[in-house]
Amino acid sequence: MTTVMSKPVSAPGKSIVEKLNFFTALALGAISAIVVWRLALQILPEDTEVRLFTREDKITLLSMTAWFIGFMTGIGALVGPFRWLMGKDLTHEENMFLAGKDMGVKRYFRYTTDHKVVGIQYLVITMVIFGIGGILAMLIRTNLGTPEGGWIHPQAYNSIVGTHGIIMIVGTIIMVTGPFGNFIMPIMIGARDMAFPRLNALSFWLIVAAAVPLIWAQFIGGISTGWSAYNPLAGQGPLGMDGYIMFICIFAISTMVAGANITTTVVKMRAKGMTWNRTPIFIYGVVASVALALPAFPVFFLSQILSAFDRALDTSFYNTAGGGSGWLYENLFWIMGHPEVYVILIPAVAALMEMAPVFTRRPLFSFNVAVMGIAGISGLSVLVWAHHMYISGWAPLLNTPFMLTTELISIPTGMIFLVLIGTLWRGRLWMTMPLMSIFALLWNFMIGGVTGIYLSDVPADAFLHGSMYVTAHFHYTLMGAGLTGALAALVYWFPAMTGRMFDKKLSWIAFWMVQIGFNIAFVGMFAVGLAGQPRRVEAYAPTFNTGNMITTGGAYLIMAGMLVLLYGVITSWTSGVKAPKNPWQAKTLEWTVGYPVPLENFDVLPVVTSDPYGYGKAKS
Amino acid sequence: MSEQMTPQTPQWWKKPDVKKTAILWVICTAVIGYVGVEFHVRNMVRPASETMSGVISLMRIFTWAAAPVAGLVAAMCLTVLTSKRHYGDNPPAEADHQISNSPRATSLWIVVSAFLCLFALITGFIVIQKDAVALLDKNAIQINVTGQQWLWSIDYPNGARSEDLYLPVNKPVVFHVTSVDVKHSFWIVQMGVKIDANPGYVTETAVTPDKIGVFDLRCAELCGLLHAYMQTKVHIVSQADYDAWLSVHATMEKGA
Amino acid sequence: MSVETHAHHEHPDVVGSRNRLGVILILVADIAFALSMVFVYFYLRGQNVNDMWLPAATSDHPAILPLSATAGWTVTAIAAFGLLAHFYGLKGVRSGNQTQLKLGSLVALVASVVAIVYQFNTIATAPFTFSDGAYVSCFYMFAILNFVHIMLTIFISLGNWNRARLGIYNSDHWHVDIVNVWWVWMTVSSLLGAFALTYP
Repeated sequence: MTTVMSKPVSAPGKSIVEKLNFFTALALGAISAIVVWRLALQILPEDTEVRLFTREDKITLLSMTAWFIGFMTGIGALVGPFRWLMGKDLTHEENMFLAGKDMGVKRYFRYTTDHKVVGIQYLVITMVIFGIGGILAMLIRTNLGTPEGGWIHPQAYNSIVGTHGIIMIVGTIIMVTGPFGNFIMPIMIGARDMAFPRLNALSFWLIVAAAVPLIWAQFIGGISTGWSAYNPLAGQGPLGMDGYIMFICIFAISTMVAGANITTTVVKMRAKGMTWNRTPIFIYGVVASVALALPAFPVFFLSQILSAFDRALDTSFYNTAGGGSGWLYENLFWIMGHPEVYVILIPAVAALMEMAPVFTRRPLFSFNVAVMGIAGISGLSVLVWAHHMYISGWAPLLNTPFMLTTELISIPTGMIFLVLIGTLWRGRLWMTMPLMSIFALLWNFMIGGVTGIYLSDVPADAFLHGSMYVTAHFHYTLMGAGLTGALAALVYWFPAMTGRMFDKKLSWIAFWMVQIGFNIAFVGMFAVGLAGQPRRVEAYAPTFNTGNMITTGGAYLIMAGMLVLLYGVITSWTSGVKAPKNPWQAKTLEWTVGYPVPLENFDVLPVVTSDPYGYGKAKS
Repeated sequence: MSEQMTPQTPQWWKKPDVKKTAILWVICTAVIGYVGVEFHVRNMVRPASETMSGVISLMRIFTWAAAPVAGLVAAMCLTVLTSKRHYGDNPPAEADHQISNSPRATSLWIVVSAFLCLFALITGFIVIQKDAVALLDKNAIQINVTGQQWLWSIDYPNGARSEDLYLPVNKPVVFHVTSVDVKHSFWIVQMGVKIDANPGYVTETAVTPDKIGVFDLRCAELCGLLHAYMQTKVHIVSQADYDAWLSVHATMEKGA
Repeated sequence: MSVETHAHHEHPDVVGSRNRLGVILILVADIAFALSMVFVYFYLRGQNVNDMWLPAATSDHPAILPLSATAGWTVTAIAAFGLLAHFYGLKGVRSGNQTQLKLGSLVALVASVVAIVYQFNTIATAPFTFSDGAYVSCFYMFAILNFVHIMLTIFISLGNWNRARLGIYNSDHWHVDIVNVWWVWMTVSSLLGAFALTYP
């Protein structure tokens, strides 16, 4: 029996993992895309059938796939699997190199496996996504400042709406589980790293790889279908839709990888003594979110694969002339689409639940109810998808059961409210931006939730569906509740991630500007929706002008607030006040390691003996 | 929230913060209910059918049903916010209790939310049932609607065809809606009816207009370049005017 | 606490069970993917929009007839054989018999290669074009899913056999257990496709 393998890889030259970085990835991705594009142009036969785009679609999809494979190869994602294949697993030195040992800033441009590096990478890319998505939102609102629209061409306008939609969805999906789920979560449970550090790097770099097809799409016709990309509209859409398809497919792989990784980490790697009832509630939120994405996103992935087939190969999944069905797409899309909004919401709310005891100096109210609420929402969310299709006519008889499941969600959602309000009650309020965010969440989520009840009701939905009312409703939940939680999490965990305090004054200014602007903007949008303005229009009847002006004004205020926040992030990160070890005097483990966090977090793994909410004085 | 009673402390409903919350609850509920209803009713289009009036009263009912819950949350928030605030870089003193649950409060909360949920469901079911029955009306005018990028074509029983929709007042109508290209959504705004126009399928919805006037028909599903302009007028006229219009248009179709 | 002071010296059982859970979670995603394909198939079959599930004959096109599902079942049978072979190898390594592992994993590898050739042949010789209606679209969907799954299986089986050959599984063999999980799912997913295609 051979035992060759114990011999370490001799290192006269540098190991392959040391040669690869972001720039080799960009180069290899670009070269692959160009080569495949040229080859496809040469080889693929001209279209013989009447359909116009299939050859161009094939070329575009092939080139984008080549970019994807080239980029992932260039970043080093395939080194691990092929070394496994050859039986030459990565050595300890190579793993240490991959973890970014002693590498400084260069770590952030490599396939680095350290969860803290990945967390910072996610934080930066989330901010970039929100920046771009926010600029697109401003373009939309500016165009809607006047009834006739006009200064953006309808084609470009539709593409801006679609791009804004999809990248904000992606941005909000990763905004909590990405930065804080990666950086904070493993320390919080007392682990040295994620269960699968290389998959962790993979999930991040997949998002970077996915970004390029989306940008590419803007130059070949755009995404003119809204974020939902309904077929058959998407089937007749421009080549830009291929960029959307690639973007979704790559992103779906990323969420799958991240979901398996984070769930395994939490299930298997909690510190000794951290039983499930001593596990912080934020961990529950993160796991519920990523675990929910596991069965949900593959369905979305499939819907886009079939869309690509229809476009490039002329199959008939959604093309009614050939026996396909638009309702099929809607079902596939919303089977993912509804769990997805809870994927966004749950971790943000859980982050606020985590902060509530810290800033009220009393225990979390009803931990068990909080867990039940999260579990209830996750469980029900996979059974409600067809409430997006009440008026599509696909199965009128099913409207009633779907109305039932949808309205049942109000019960676990009510539990979340109970936990938050119960924790605030008779606490000592430590007036900080994260604390006020809890109040903001209760306010916004109450409005989002109650308007959701109107929408869940089939007859009322027959009036409201497809109007601006729906747009305002989901901005109240995803932005008013979700983003509020994420911004609070940023301020709260900023000291742990950067070693500096977030500038207090700037956090307050940004908070009030964003919250006030938000409520102005979307109350105006509710009003025009009730008056009958459809969604996704680039021009509207003059009667809607007042409401739209209000919304546009509010949107500018949000933007100004976000710029203040960005300024706060940059100045605090570079020259903020150095943070003490545990600035909030919280009792969770991430505050025990100090800054900078050592490579493997803990010299000696901690042992947990109580839940992390032991605040308050015992009654004598 | 209730609290373990001890002889020294007053009974829970006599505590000052509870009293304050109770008063605020009444005020908040009234304000939220009133503002919520007024916001919706004032902004909503004037109804031109019983269906739409039904939608408006549904929203009224739901708003008032939700107001006590929202009012309670708001009242508790206000009570909390107006007491025991602490500013500064260091945390305040620990709270003077360690209460981490209250079975009484949580079970009450869950039971109440379950009842509210049940109430919303029953209210919705009743209306759904009514709408489903309307589809089966044998005496209704049967109108075929076809969406295409980016206009509507309306076909009347006698062969007339138009782009605007003409209907007599107080007569039930059933729409059979389809599309020739992509998905559209047929929405008569002031009548509160909407149904998607799907290529390859025919979907149905029913309504009885009850006001004479000119109303809006809009597409409510993004359908490409000129989606925003895919709208037209709905003319609700007297039976006599409708018959006259219909005969003129039927002959026009035949002549052409 | 003292046991785990260095992450690199974790016990193979700990690492193995962690990896096993991770793979099962990734399989949850793949299972959702395959099940939604079954949903697509039966939904389109039930809808039969414009009677184009299996288009009838027209002046310039003969009627489309469904293929026999035998091809699908054959691939499933080959996959099941590969699974058995791999399981035989796994039983070997569990009882410390490295030769049995090498043999089992080699046979499994060969089975996956046979399966890919057969699957490719099925796709290449199908008497359809892509635009021949919804049934044909779904046929290609399942065939391509199988093709991709078998490609992955070849990669995994090759690595598994190679590592067995090099004697890496002398000390611990949790990799082999996990590869077995994959083989089970690969067989089941192929069976799902064959099952669906049995009801054209």
